[in-house]
Amino acid sequence: MKCDLCHVNEATIHLIKIQGDRVERINLCKECAKKFSFLSDENFYEDLAGILYKLLGEGSDNLSYKKDKKFWKNLKYARNRKCPYCGTDLNTIKRSGKVGCSNCYSEFKNELFPVIMSIQGSLENKSKIPVNTTRKIKLEKSLRDLKNKLQNEIVIENFEEAAKIRDRIRRLERNKYVR
Amino acid sequence: MSDKKFYLLEDRTSKSKFKNKNKIILNTKVSLSRNLVDHKFVDISGSQEKIALLEEIKKYVDNNKKFGNFQFYDIKVIKGLQRELFLMDYMIDSEMSRRLSGKGVYIKEDRAVRSSSAIIINNEDHVRIQSVYPGLKIYKAYNEVMKIEKYFEKGLTFAFDRKLGYLTASPSNLGTALRVSVIVHLPVLAASTGLVDLLKRIGKIGCQIGGYFRSQPEVTGNLFEVYNGVTLGKGEREILDEMKAICLSIIEEEQKARAQIKRNDLLGIKDNVYRSYGLIKYSKILSYEEALELLSIIRLGLDLDLIDDVNDFDFFELVNKLSDSRIMVDMEINDKIKGDRIDLIRADIIREKILKGS
Repeated sequence: MKCDLCHVNEATIHLIKIQGDRVERINLCKECAKKFSFLSDENFYEDLAGILYKLLGEGSDNLSYKKDKKFWKNLKYARNRKCPYCGTDLNTIKRSGKVGCSNCYSEFKNELFPVIMSIQGSLENKSKIPVNTTRKIKLEKSLRDLKNKLQNEIVIENFEEAAKIRDRIRRLERNKYVR
Repeated sequence: MSDKKFYLLEDRTSKSKFKNKNKIILNTKVSLSRNLVDHKFVDISGSQEKIALLEEIKKYVDNNKKFGNFQFYDIKVIKGLQRELFLMDYMIDSEMSRRLSGKGVYIKEDRAVRSSSAIIINNEDHVRIQSVYPGLKIYKAYNEVMKIEKYFEKGLTFAFDRKLGYLTASPSNLGTALRVSVIVHLPVLAASTGLVDLLKRIGKIGCQIGGYFRSQPEVTGNLFEVYNGVTLGKGEREILDEMKAICLSIIEEEQKARAQIKRNDLLGIKDNVYRSYGLIKYSKILSYEEALELLSIIRLGLDLDLIDDVNDFDFFELVNKLSDSRIMVDMEINDKIKGDRIDLIRADIIREKILKGS
């Protein structure tokens, strides 16, 4: 594959940027990549992220605060639909950038989730969980943590520990269906 | 379940390398947003509902001895400049400042380490818990905030969703609802192209950087605020570790730039420092912006051991002390005076604080 900039040298550096469901690819030879970095040879690879940024032409308005408004622009909504708990409609949510109550998130799930995705870049919560929550949520959280741990142990080839974790996961999963 | 579970320990490996870190990272703030279940969010609640909720939370906090000596302030009751300072210090929505009923702040200050904790009620969310420390103290501030949250959790239930985490009024706080923000002083990077590179790299990891004074488009006093932009899809630990790593790399970059400028242009930088010193020493009136710019350069001179005619001073403390409204409150001046007089007092305060033998 040839370099995207000089079209002469073979590209050795491939940058892929994924944001939400948008994917951008850039292929460069080392010489061209270096032009963008203003850096000496030794810390060249450390600063790939910096190069990527320059190439994709982002960050020029980085000094300004994140403008939440732009994320809301594409919010589509049907008129007259209101959250049954608090009576807020999507028009109000769009205008203020804030929902009316915790129920709004499930009521307007289909409309709000794309907006949340574009703001946060993820829809998978990894926070800690409240003390007084349902047993099911607690179980799910500990299962997720254990599975992550299992992956880590496998990567560092600590199979003895991995087997123990696997057994714990099995036990928990069996428990899940008891009640 | 043991209490220790939520508390995180700071990684202390690279401490010696960053000897001067508290001169570059001036301040750390960690805040946590929470909403109670079965209540409308603040934005659409009427004042009666807000007052009722405030009373509910107040009753809970006042009857729970664990909270310790938090002092309560009702924003509606406080008047004039004092109120303005509150709105500024605790980031209470200034747009909403006309609708102040039902808003309140609990404050606890620890004068020995100059840290403070606050519980802000009925601002954007029902409850915001925040902790502020001088210097780079991300983990300490986080543990403080967690401790207060735990007291709340014993008796109140927060809105939580399996997929979205803690539910907040604005989708930009969903998930952990955790905001870590640090104030950084970058006099050398801000004057070079290094800053642009840094901004880009920080942005890449999902962090945001802006001038410390959000209301102004320009950066004053080389002060910036760095904070995590993403709260969903990352765990608390991940956010803290990332912010810590970013802080350390910012310190490293600034120190590298400082060493370089000291090597290449010692006379130039010395000249700058002493010019600022001269202006501080002899000028009669100083505007807030000018004062910050000058103090920033003198602080740099002190950090680089280029000047010994001034006392060591805490830059961020002065930043807070020298604003117009703070001076007016401290000096008990009523509103109807000319700006010049404040500028005059400001110049005096600075001289008293930093000039040796005065």
